[in-house]
Amino acid sequence: MLILAQLIASGIAVGMIYGVIAFGYQLTFATSKTLNFGQGEALMLGSLVGLTTVSLTGYWLMLPIVLAFGLLQGAVVERLGVRQAIRTNSEAGWIMATIALGIIFRNLAENIWGRDALKFPSPLPETPLSLAGVRVLPMEIAIVVGALAMMLAVETFNRRSIYGKAVVATANDRDAAGLMGINTSLVITFSYALSSMTAAFAGVLIAPVTLTGAAMGGVLGLKAFAVAIIGGLNSGLGVIVGGLILGVTETLTGFYLSTGYKDVPGLVLLLLVLSIKPSGLFGTMAIKKV
Amino acid sequence: MRIARRMLALAAFTMLAGTAQAQQPIKIGLSGPFTGGSASMGVSMRDGVKLAVAEINKAGGVLGRPLVLVERDDEARNEVGVQIAQELINKEQVIATLGYINTGVALASQRFYQEAEIPVLNNVATGTLITQQFVAPKFKNNYVFRFSANDVIQSGMIVDEAIGRRGFKKPAILADSTNYGQLGREDLERALAAKNVKPVAIEKFNIGDTDMTAQLLRAKEAGADVILTYGIGPELAQIANGMAKLGWKVPLVGSWTLSMSTFIDNAGANGDGAVMPQTFIQAPTTPKRKAFIEAYQQAYKVDRIPSPISAAQGYDSVLLLAAAITQAKSTDGRKIREALENLTTKVEGVVTIYDKPFSTTDHEAITANIPVFGLVKNGRVVAERDEDIAGANAVRTKPRAN
Repeated sequence: MLILAQLIASGIAVGMIYGVIAFGYQLTFATSKTLNFGQGEALMLGSLVGLTTVSLTGYWLMLPIVLAFGLLQGAVVERLGVRQAIRTNSEAGWIMATIALGIIFRNLAENIWGRDALKFPSPLPETPLSLAGVRVLPMEIAIVVGALAMMLAVETFNRRSIYGKAVVATANDRDAAGLMGINTSLVITFSYALSSMTAAFAGVLIAPVTLTGAAMGGVLGLKAFAVAIIGGLNSGLGVIVGGLILGVTETLTGFYLSTGYKDVPGLVLLLLVLSIKPSGLFGTMAIKKV
Repeated sequence: MRIARRMLALAAFTMLAGTAQAQQPIKIGLSGPFTGGSASMGVSMRDGVKLAVAEINKAGGVLGRPLVLVERDDEARNEVGVQIAQELINKEQVIATLGYINTGVALASQRFYQEAEIPVLNNVATGTLITQQFVAPKFKNNYVFRFSANDVIQSGMIVDEAIGRRGFKKPAILADSTNYGQLGREDLERALAAKNVKPVAIEKFNIGDTDMTAQLLRAKEAGADVILTYGIGPELAQIANGMAKLGWKVPLVGSWTLSMSTFIDNAGANGDGAVMPQTFIQAPTTPKRKAFIEAYQQAYKVDRIPSPISAAQGYDSVLLLAAAITQAKSTDGRKIREALENLTTKVEGVVTIYDKPFSTTDHEAITANIPVFGLVKNGRVVAERDEDIAGANAVRTKPRAN
């Protein structure tokens, strides 16, 4: 029983990491029906910029700098990679463009920070806590709390503020929002900036546990993509639940089945969701009128 | 008279050409990952090689000709390694190539040298197959030589240490899913079977895995009293950190990659106590080693050599190549191979004293008696047992085949 609880606790921590990255996919998809396939690289850049800044400014002052960097990086991705594709109604242009930008960012990071895995200083003590026998790192709790807080903040912003309402309006119907006087292309740029900002924040949040480095975006970005598909690309709640499902499945399979097959059930689940409910567990069916 | 003058001119011309020939540099290829996950090993190897080349050139070169290196970054990628091999052979026309950190890159690239009859001096990669690719009777001559302790030696040492010396009964194996990890796991299982020990758990992880809870809990539930590892730095660090998180501490005994700076730095205090076979420990136990360590620290402005083994083996591989060229009095690949297989001079290297290190059938410079156990302690690798590197044990040499 204790083992099961320990596995679930570790699974939740891992799942929350996936979920918080997947949340970024969901943000841009809602407004523009496009995704940043360089989401993993946005996470990596945020975490490496954080690593460099933290030695100069300390942990808390580093956070706003990383958030600002994320906003900027997302806006650059949208302007360079996505805008043209949206304007010309290109179906696949943005896919290639965001992948290409992701590769460029990774090469850039390799040249600046090297390709070794680096240790990220932990703002919290690194001795594990024991909660009724289940051992967790303080940083793992921080990841869960931090990720939830950030997603809540973004959702509140979208629902309460006038700028957020413009985002929601664009998400609901881009043409109608445009007719109502909303500058939808600016909103899309903003959603990309917001998406990369969440990724950059996720980067510094998870780095003390996962280690950082130019290659960190690869595996995590891919897993998060699976989570976004499982949970539903237009549901904020979906990516959290999707992340938890994938994380817990992985650790449980690893223990009860075999560590060699740890990744398999997650992929099976992905295929099941795609064949039974293609819009994801929490997604709403998008009907594309032609 | 005119003929005599012509003869004189011709003679003068040949002499001039002769001196030009004598000073033409000898080109040596160097292939290793200088960026990427194995960069610390590749860069240390390259820097060790460069130190030796600089020393040889300062002393007048080989056959009166200076050595020049043609360095290429193979990025630890097989296909890049193959491209580099073709470029070094056909365009740069190197007379030999040093390098290879990654077993996969070595296996993919070596065949081009074998076909071109150019020797490869493999100074870091440990895969058992590396020197076995081109053996008789299928191939007449083997052009691949090695300066590292291969995986059979390492897994044997790991098992001897864990089961034999320390008396553990229930080992768990944790290996990554790459060629390196899985081939190493097979070698470990064979070495355990030879001692009639069955591992209580055999677990696998992927490159980039950040959570080792499932693997560690399985090992723990199976009652493991020691963990044997075959992986690389970052994931090994996650294993050490994961054990600390679960509050479960059993010794880590693993392949030489437990000495990687990515393991030591990322595991921090959790990595202290891990032990692994090492052909060289950064300690001035002989005058040669002292000079080497000081030269390295001075040339590259570091205190801790990122990967001491790679630097030392890289350095030694140059010394042996130079000795072979001198003995062959030629830069012809076939003659260098023959000279390597029958070296008449004793060469004092950093790792050991090489006294007939190779023969036509044996291309491994390192035997099981040479490596010692290294121990991670306060962010450095030291000798696990001081007596292993002191006194008569300081220099361990390959037993001479008769």
